[in-house]
Amino acid sequence: MTGERILVVEDNEKNMKLFRDVLSATGYRTLEATTGGEAVEMATEHAPDLVLMDIQMPDIDGVEALRRLRADARTSSLRVLAVTAQAMQGDREHFLAAGFDGYLSKPVNVQELLGTVRRYCDGEAG
Amino acid sequence: MSATRAQKRRGEAAAERRRPLSPGDYRLVRAVGRLPARVHTKLLIAFVGTAVLLVAVGALGLRVLAQSNDRVGELGPLQQRAAAYGKLQSDIASVRNLLPENLPRDDDFYLVWPGAVPVPLTGGARIAVDQAVANQVKRIAPATRPDRLGFVPPEEDESVLGEIREESSRLSSLMTQLINDPNDSRRAQAMAQAADLNQLASELANTTTAKASALIADNARAYESSRSLYVGVAVGAIGLALVLGFLLSWSVVGPIQRIDPRLAAIAGGDFSGHVDVENRDELGALAANVNRTNDELRRLYTELEAASRHKSEFLASMSHELRTPLNAIIGFSQVLREGMFGPVNEKQSEYLDDIVSSGNHLLSLINDVLDLSKVEAGQVELEVGPFSLREALERGVVMVREQATEEGVQVELSAGPEVDVIDGDERRIKQVIFNLLSNAVKFTPTGGEIDVSAIRVNGEVRVSVADTGPGIAPDDHERVFEEFQQTDAGLEQREGTGLGLALSKRLVELHGGRIWLESELGQGSTFVFTLPAGQASS
Repeated sequence: MTGERILVVEDNEKNMKLFRDVLSATGYRTLEATTGGEAVEMATEHAPDLVLMDIQMPDIDGVEALRRLRADARTSSLRVLAVTAQAMQGDREHFLAAGFDGYLSKPVNVQELLGTVRRYCDGEAG
Repeated sequence: MSATRAQKRRGEAAAERRRPLSPGDYRLVRAVGRLPARVHTKLLIAFVGTAVLLVAVGALGLRVLAQSNDRVGELGPLQQRAAAYGKLQSDIASVRNLLPENLPRDDDFYLVWPGAVPVPLTGGARIAVDQAVANQVKRIAPATRPDRLGFVPPEEDESVLGEIREESSRLSSLMTQLINDPNDSRRAQAMAQAADLNQLASELANTTTAKASALIADNARAYESSRSLYVGVAVGAIGLALVLGFLLSWSVVGPIQRIDPRLAAIAGGDFSGHVDVENRDELGALAANVNRTNDELRRLYTELEAASRHKSEFLASMSHELRTPLNAIIGFSQVLREGMFGPVNEKQSEYLDDIVSSGNHLLSLINDVLDLSKVEAGQVELEVGPFSLREALERGVVMVREQATEEGVQVELSAGPEVDVIDGDERRIKQVIFNLLSNAVKFTPTGGEIDVSAIRVNGEVRVSVADTGPGIAPDDHERVFEEFQQTDAGLEQREGTGLGLALSKRLVELHGGRIWLESELGQGSTFVFTLPAGQASS
């Protein structure tokens, strides 16, 4: 465990708790944002190693937040995964096309979540 | 008219212009269409009008014939009179010619003997000739009577004939005196009298002949003008009938030509336009109804679209809202189950497993409901392309093999190269295959067997999944393809959403195929589905 910082963007309190606890227990440091706007601020300020981005949020949605991150030179190269309950046919392709580095549909399998996070932090972030 | 309405009208006018101009668009034809009468009435008027014209032409023809006949009737007696008067005149002329000492050179005598030298008549010969002339003169008056003429002369002729009779009786008495006492002065007197008589007869004959000639000329002229009139009226009538027919037929055909493409467009789902028919008859009513139908359909279509959109949005929201809490339920259960925050005892572990599997069941239920709703709403568009059915079946078998092996069930696959390339939506076909396979594994007891096969028969691809499970009574064969209808065996399993076969049925039918079940209780079940074999493999 190298203690990478992961920004979890999630407006549902219980899901936030799940992701935070699982990631913390696995050795990651977590940052939390509950709105798209907050997510952009925190990502800009802390430059996390990975962002887990919810899509449907009260202010700006995950796609718009991603667009703002990509538009800013400081955050344009952040790795951002979409973690969303929007899991109808075609959604995965839609979000990957929008510029997300990966896609996880809710409900997530905890092992799959950890595996994916590990891959992006350890392997590919190298 | 609002701006948008005006724009729409212009748009329609533009569409109208793009249509090739047909006779139905002529102003006069449209005017006929605008006449406020039923098509039936218009047709009746046109046909009756044409009939009246025909009758008029016929009547005119008859009249011309009758006039001509009348003139011919007049000509006959006139010519008869001319002939009779000619004869009279020639008799009188011969009297005049026989009176002089010498026969005048123009007497008929010289026509018979052209070389004869005129010889003065003297003595007995003179008297004999005069006697003959007197007899001839006596016959003139009776010859002017109707019984000898063979007709009753008209009044103007009768007065001349009367004069002839008087003159002839005078000549007759002169002749008597001449015969009794021949001398030159009496002869001269008789000759003058004969010349007067001849003059009268000539006039009568000439006048009558002239009248006959005039009548003939008149006839010819009258015939000419009658013929021109008749031909003119006939041509006019035919022209009028043709114009009437043209106007009327196009006032009917024109609107139909305009209505037809609009109906075709409506049938094709285009409700954007109105048909422009200004007829104030049945066709106008028809066009108005087509337009009303168009508007009503457009309204319904818009409503349906909105309803369908709402449904899709509702389904998407439902999916999202159900998945969000499921994330926490399944996630926390998995975390606990894996002992991430401390060990759990066996019972707790079992319960956590139950929570996870129930959560996953709920998830598949959501997915199936969404799929089914989409298929029912016609929102599933197949992505048809060539793919290998054999590979799809192999993958399906691989996916269920682990579970099958765990339960001691053998899975056999036989798919030849003839099903290597078929047309269809690969993802959806795989969904159907997986559904049938997982059902088979679920219901086949330990030691059982599942046979999967794919063949090409009669232009279609046939896939069958046969198991050695409990089988399904024939009465239930239809029911298993209905939503939430599970057999008792299915209900005992507590797995499955009850939607898998309903969804499979719809997906197969979307492909134009069929799905059915061959089974008896206790004999195992064979689920078969077919797909139209689009692309024939080599």
